[in-house]
Order: sequence, then C-alpha cells, then structure tokens
Amino acid sequence: MQILMQLIVSGISVGMIYGVIAFGYQLTFSTSKTLNFGQGEALMLGALVGLTTINFLIGQQIGTFWAYVIMLPVVLAFGALQGSVVEWLGVRPAMRAKSEAGWIMATIALGIIFKNLAENIWGRDALKFPSPLPEASLSFGGIRIQPMEIVVVVGAIALMLGVEFFNRRSIYGKAVVATSNDRDAAGLMGINTNRIITFSYALSSMSAAFAGVLVAPVTLTGATMGAVLGLKAFAVAIIGGLSSGMGVVIGGLILGITETLTGYYISTGYKDVPGLVLLLIVLSLKPSGLFGKAAIKKV
Amino acid sequence: MLIIDNLVAGYGKVKVLHGISIMVPEGKVVALIGSNGAGKTTTLRALSGMLKPESGSITLGGKDIAGLTSHEITRMGLAHSPEGRRVFSTLPVMDNLLLGAFPRLTGSRHKGDVDGDINRMFELFPRLKERRTQLAGTLSGGEQQMLAMARALMLNPEVLLLDEPSMGLSPRLVEEIFVIIERLKKANMTMLLVEQFAAAALEVSDFGYVMENGHIRTSGEARALKNDPAVQAAYLGGH
Repeated sequence: MQILMQLIVSGISVGMIYGVIAFGYQLTFSTSKTLNFGQGEALMLGALVGLTTINFLIGQQIGTFWAYVIMLPVVLAFGALQGSVVEWLGVRPAMRAKSEAGWIMATIALGIIFKNLAENIWGRDALKFPSPLPEASLSFGGIRIQPMEIVVVVGAIALMLGVEFFNRRSIYGKAVVATSNDRDAAGLMGINTNRIITFSYALSSMSAAFAGVLVAPVTLTGATMGAVLGLKAFAVAIIGGLSSGMGVVIGGLILGITETLTGYYISTGYKDVPGLVLLLIVLSLKPSGLFGKAAIKKV
Repeated sequence: MLIIDNLVAGYGKVKVLHGISIMVPEGKVVALIGSNGAGKTTTLRALSGMLKPESGSITLGGKDIAGLTSHEITRMGLAHSPEGRRVFSTLPVMDNLLLGAFPRLTGSRHKGDVDGDINRMFELFPRLKERRTQLAGTLSGGEQQMLAMARALMLNPEVLLLDEPSMGLSPRLVEEIFVIIERLKKANMTMLLVEQFAAAALEVSDFGYVMENGHIRTSGEARALKNDPAVQAAYLGGH
C-alpha cells in the first residue's frame, strides 16, 4: 500500500509537467485551431536558457534559491518571445495561405532547428540543473517526496490558475476567450484576432519554458529533453481533450500515474506503453478527448 | 453616414456583388430587401471587413474603409450584428456586452460611460438583465438575437448593420424586435437593415433598396417602395 501511494505521488508530479505542456497545446488550439509541434523544444530551450541564467547568477555570488527566483522572469520572457517567433514564422504564413497542414510541417521544422541550435550552443550531453531547494527527500508517513516535486505541482497549478484568472477577469482575457469562441465575431468586436493568436503562442511557449525549469532540477537538462516530453504531453492533450483546461490536468495525472505504476509493477521497459494504449482507446471511443466538447466541422 | 459606391465582392472566383451603390444618411434607417441569395448578407460582410471587397469604395464618416480588416472598421464606428447572431456562447451575457465595448475599454475609441450604456441595454432588452450571469449559449434564439443587437450597440456606433434580426423568431418576438428598431430610430441611430420581412422592414425605414442577383434593382423612399406594384408583387406578397 505504501509503495502504491509512493508511486502515485511520484506520478502526480510527472503528470503535472505533462499537464502544463498540454495546457500550452490547448491555449493555441483554442484560438487558432493550430498548435506548436515544437512545444517540447520550447520546454527544452526554456530549461537551457534557465540553466545559463542561473549559473551566471550563481557565479555572481547569489545563492541558488534566489538565483532560481530571479531566473524565472527571464525564462518566462524568453519563452513568450520564442512562442511569438514560432507563430510569426511557422503558423501565420500557413493560416494566411489557408493551408490545412502547413503549420504542422512548419512547427515541426522549427522544432528541429531549435534542437540543432541547442545542441550547438549547449552540447549534446545531459547537464545538471542546480536545485533551488534541498534535494533530500521529505518523508510523510513513509512516503518520500522531494521538495522540488512539491514546487512542480504548486507551480503548475499556479500557472494554470493565473491564466484562468486573466481570461475571466481582464477584458483582454475575455478577448482571448471570444476569439476561441468565434474568430470572425471577435473581429467584429474590434479585437485584433491576429494579435490574440500571437499572444496565445507566446503564452503557450511561456508555459512550456516554465515547465522546463520546473522539471529540470528533478531530471537533467539537455537538447534532447524536449522531444519525449512534448510527445507525451501531446498524448495528454488528446486524452484530456484539446478544448478543456481541466481535461489536460486530469489527462496529465492519468498518464503520469499509469507510467510510474507500469514502471514498477510491470517493467520500466514498458513504461511508455499504457499511455499510448490509452491514447488509442480514447481516440477510438471519444475522439474529442475525455473532457473535450465534440467539434462539429461545418461543410 | 455610410456611402457605398460601385462595390464589387465575392467568394474566390464567384462574384456575388456586381457593383452596388447604397447611401445611408446620418440618423436614417435604410432597408435592404430582396430574396434569398440576392447578396444582402454578402453586402454587410463586405462593409464590415469580414469579406474583402474587390473594388469600389465604402465611405464611413468621410473615410474610405474598403479593404480594412474588421477590427479596424469596428474601431472606426461601424457595428455589425451578424447573420446567425454569433454570440460568444461560453461567456456570460455580461461579458458579451463588455466585449461589444472592447474598443472603448482598450483606448481605441472614446470610452464614455460603459456602465451606463450596459444599463441602457438592460432597459432596452429587459430579458438580458434577468439573464446577465447566464452563459450566452444557454439563451433562447430570441434572447441571443437581442444580445447580438445589444452587443453591437455597446460600441456606441456611428452606423449599425443589422442582418436578419427576425430570422427564426416567433411572430411575437419579431414584433418585439421591430419595436426596438423603432426605438433606436427615434434615438437617431443610423442603421442599415437587412430583412426578409420586407413589409415590416420598409415600415420602420426611411429609404429602401431592393437587391436582385447582386445588383440594386430599384431604390427610393421606403413608403414609395411599399406602394410600388412591382415591389409588392415580388417581395411583399408573402408577408
């Protein structure tokens, strides 16, 4: 029983990371019906830019904890900028040309370019990311939790609540929701929907970059860290439904927990299988996702 | 004042509007009538920038707006209550109204008294007041139509385009909508009204234009059109 609880707790923090990345997919999908297949690379770039920043700050005799805190806004700003570039270079031309698939190719291509760029700047090896909190585990009734794992969960929830609060309270947030509802009608309200879509890409990559620096102290960083995370988060977005913010969190938790359970009870070799099986089941039974609203394509 | 001169527009290679000219004078109501597929909705879409005109000019308050994007045109004071209502279904009634005032709340248009205008809308459409916290998607068709009109009015527009406000509504609600249009007219709102109920539309309007296959067939004072035997035979018989 204790082992089971331990596995679930570990699964939750992994799952929240998947959830945050998937949340990023959902942000752009809702406004533009497109998404960034280089989302994993946005996470990786965020983590590596974070690594360089935090190492620089530590070099300036700033303690690791404060260095981490000061690094956060730098990484968030970088993520927002990177997302805007992806939208501008990869998505907007395809949308202007009314291309159904152009953005898929373009965002994958940009992802590969970013990965190559990172390999040339930071090398191919996995790098250690300084942890702002003690790495020794805390014990709660025999269940061990790393302090950073708690930060992952709290940080992920805070980010998603922050976006939700913005959408509900500010007129610009309402403009984002209006654009997701009906882009043409939003234009008739005087909303520049192109700018809203750029903004959603900025926010999406910002979420990924944030996820990157949350997960980096627990795992390792490196140019290849994004690919698998991006893909799994994509599965989460499909399982939870691309139209539901709540869905991606639950989808992330489902995948995170099944992975740790499979890894322990079956074999770590099969760790990735149940999530993908789940993806196939959801796709065949409820293609709009467990929590998604069925989309009706008008012809 | 809105002046449309020789407007040509369409979808891809299919031309729908073949050079139409309409004038909507300040403070007047102009009805655009015609059968299904005549190009009435396309005209409104071209005016508000939802569709890019191929040629011709559209002058709003002295400035040519042809070819601008819909958000730019809206910010210049042209409000469009579109066909099919297009309310933001996952947002509450109140947020739909606030979004109608988006340019006023974000500095691209004179702000004025937004709260006061919301209260004015609630007075004009008392049902919306009852439903103000409800999601727009859960409203009835008539209520959604009222919301679409109120949302467009929240811009404090120079000119209001209304596309088929009576579509799909019960006769009693249609009557209610026309009473509201009458009230807006008394308040000097400049309106271009597209309607299937040609008789009722001409009743509230000062001028009318009859459209046929993307051309303006005839136009004139609304009262004169109403009594024109040719117009009566073609468009007023059924209603």
